[in-house]
Amino acid sequence: MSTRIVVDPITRIEGHLRIEAEVKDGRITDAWSAGTMVRGIETILKGRDPRDAWAFTERVCGVCTTVHALASVRSVEDALGVAVPPNAELIRNLMFCAQYLQDHVVHFYHLHALDWVDVVSSLKADPAEASRIAQSISNWPKSSPQYFHDLQKRLTAFVESGQLGIFANAYWGHPAYKLPPEVNLIGVAHYLEALEWQKEIVKVHTIFGGKNPHPNYLVGGVPCALNIDEANAINAERLAYVGRLFEEAARFVEQVYLPDLLAIAPFYLDWAEIGGGVSNYLCYGDLPTNGFADVARFKFPRGAVLDRDLSKVHPVDPHDPDGVRESIDHSWYSYNGGEGKALHPWDGETKFNYTGPKPPYDNLNVGGKYSWLKTPRWKGHAMEVGPLARMLVGYASGNQEIKDAVTETLAALKAPAAVLFSTLGRTAARGIETRLIARWATEFYSQLLANIRNGDSRTFTKEKWEPATWPAQARGVGASEAPRGALAHWIVIKDQKIENYQLVVPSTWNASPRDGQGQRSPYEAALIGTPVHDPTQPLEILRTVHSFDPCLACAVHLYDDRGGRLGAASTAPVL
Amino acid sequence: MVVSLHPGGQAAPAAPAPPPAEVLVLGVGNLLVGDEGVGVHAFRVLERETWPPHVRLVDGGTGGFHLLDLLCSHARIILIDATRDGAPPGTVAQFRARVAADFPPALGAHDIGLRDLITAAALLGPLPEIDVITVSIAELKPMTLELSAPVAAALPEVSRRVRTLVG
Repeated sequence: MSTRIVVDPITRIEGHLRIEAEVKDGRITDAWSAGTMVRGIETILKGRDPRDAWAFTERVCGVCTTVHALASVRSVEDALGVAVPPNAELIRNLMFCAQYLQDHVVHFYHLHALDWVDVVSSLKADPAEASRIAQSISNWPKSSPQYFHDLQKRLTAFVESGQLGIFANAYWGHPAYKLPPEVNLIGVAHYLEALEWQKEIVKVHTIFGGKNPHPNYLVGGVPCALNIDEANAINAERLAYVGRLFEEAARFVEQVYLPDLLAIAPFYLDWAEIGGGVSNYLCYGDLPTNGFADVARFKFPRGAVLDRDLSKVHPVDPHDPDGVRESIDHSWYSYNGGEGKALHPWDGETKFNYTGPKPPYDNLNVGGKYSWLKTPRWKGHAMEVGPLARMLVGYASGNQEIKDAVTETLAALKAPAAVLFSTLGRTAARGIETRLIARWATEFYSQLLANIRNGDSRTFTKEKWEPATWPAQARGVGASEAPRGALAHWIVIKDQKIENYQLVVPSTWNASPRDGQGQRSPYEAALIGTPVHDPTQPLEILRTVHSFDPCLACAVHLYDDRGGRLGAASTAPVL
Repeated sequence: MVVSLHPGGQAAPAAPAPPPAEVLVLGVGNLLVGDEGVGVHAFRVLERETWPPHVRLVDGGTGGFHLLDLLCSHARIILIDATRDGAPPGTVAQFRARVAADFPPALGAHDIGLRDLITAAALLGPLPEIDVITVSIAELKPMTLELSAPVAAALPEVSRRVRTLVG
């Protein structure tokens, strides 16, 4: 008999996400992913000044607050034909890198690590042995026996206090946890160190964006003045501070994050065969090094990989009316043209049509409409987006930096490239690209200093700032790579006002419902075949879903075939 | 164009050291879902008023982890947030939070719940003194930027309470 498991995570990003999965003989046989909270930003933007759109879109999400602002200003610049000055591009790149560094480290340690690291087991660790292991994998200074001894004492106090969610609500002791106590102790130690470190790197946003959270962006450049001698501008002191923050970030990634990833992965190589999902990968590319118009010189190459064929990269153009299209066969919307249509976002419609059950409910009607997410497809294909897609498209493009970084990591794991198409591969790809980002940030920083030294302090172009200079009608795409994957905003401007605005965000690509042809989206496909040792403790589901970085705390409710509740457990809280 | 910046930590411009007892007034919430954004609306009201130099006003938005540095770098915090506690919309209440469990559970529209953030702050060191001012709301309204009338009417009371607390 099969069991229906419902994972209804209380995600606080992009609305709520819910997974329903059928489990038979200890494996998932089918799965459905549903967004259960409506997004309405498109409706808010209609009729507004396009230059203000970034400030609204930035508020959609608080975990990566910068990414929607960047996509938004790019959409307007694309529509109006604005090229921002090189320093503006560099500062945007530096803010982009700071966002990635913070987001990926927080994901690894605070949103994903406890799926693999057993906190309670770490209390049994021998601190001297933990110290020996830590020193064998990294020269990070905090690794003495005394350090681990003191940390273990602190942890014990936290656990005994019983007040802290992370130490109370999880599946500690689940047989799927495989790490020795000492490696668990190292993982928990770095969980705490990462928490401390991530507070620092986001100061880059405060410095360049004037405030954090929700830093300022600007159509035509960046809203900060470069003047090395001016107290209120980006001056020598602030630039030096940015440089130190990126140096520390690179050290943390090289000496903590990557060594931990490589130390933990060998215990979980079975997860290199689980969680692959769809076999197509999409990347819009990002981090321009020669202006946003020169796509060929992006650090993350643009393209698509189909059927896991790494010998070929398919060209991608988000302007192409036959490229990205969204359908609503299983989504709570209606289209003027009716069901079965797939619309390019410039022609996109946001008309709500909730036909689902009245909450609280046991199960969604997965045969009909079951999600607030639309279903995006690229030329009809279901595409995975995110770190794995970026690394695969980069690898297949023959990008040497990406190829080297991927090859190096695979060599350290003594594993073939095929392991990338998996839950473990997704988590490894995130680490690999974080290392690249840390290096690239240093390049962008040096370039910015060199420009300033050469007397170029331009950060803004006012060409096309005045609406009187705009055409009566224009439309543009702001494409970017958010930490979670391909992100784009499509804008239609008419008479100086926003006529239409559509976002297709990474979670829509990955977490959307099936399309009209019944093709599963990435979460749904990745869960098939995932083992579930104990349906009342579906740790394995969390591993695969969290590998996409949906950034959520989960409350799991379990139901039997007839929809009655079997039991409930709170799982993998954010903290 | 010159924008005034207030970077944290060592990047602060060479100015006199801030008064030792700086009080952080942090309004949080999501502006895109109506009354849930009341904390940020309150921040905007406070921003237009005059405050003593030791008061630092911050729009926390849906800042999540980005707020952790602020929480860990102030000994005294006044936090303004919405709550769905069943009281009539616009009811203003106030309490002194001592542990993470004192905070209202996330309303669902913030990204990382305050309780999670406070937990994180507690892992890193002693918690600051936190006074929480809550405004009761009835519902989340997607696609609404404006406050409902009863919640908007509560803003002067929020301001009055902040003024009493900062002394």
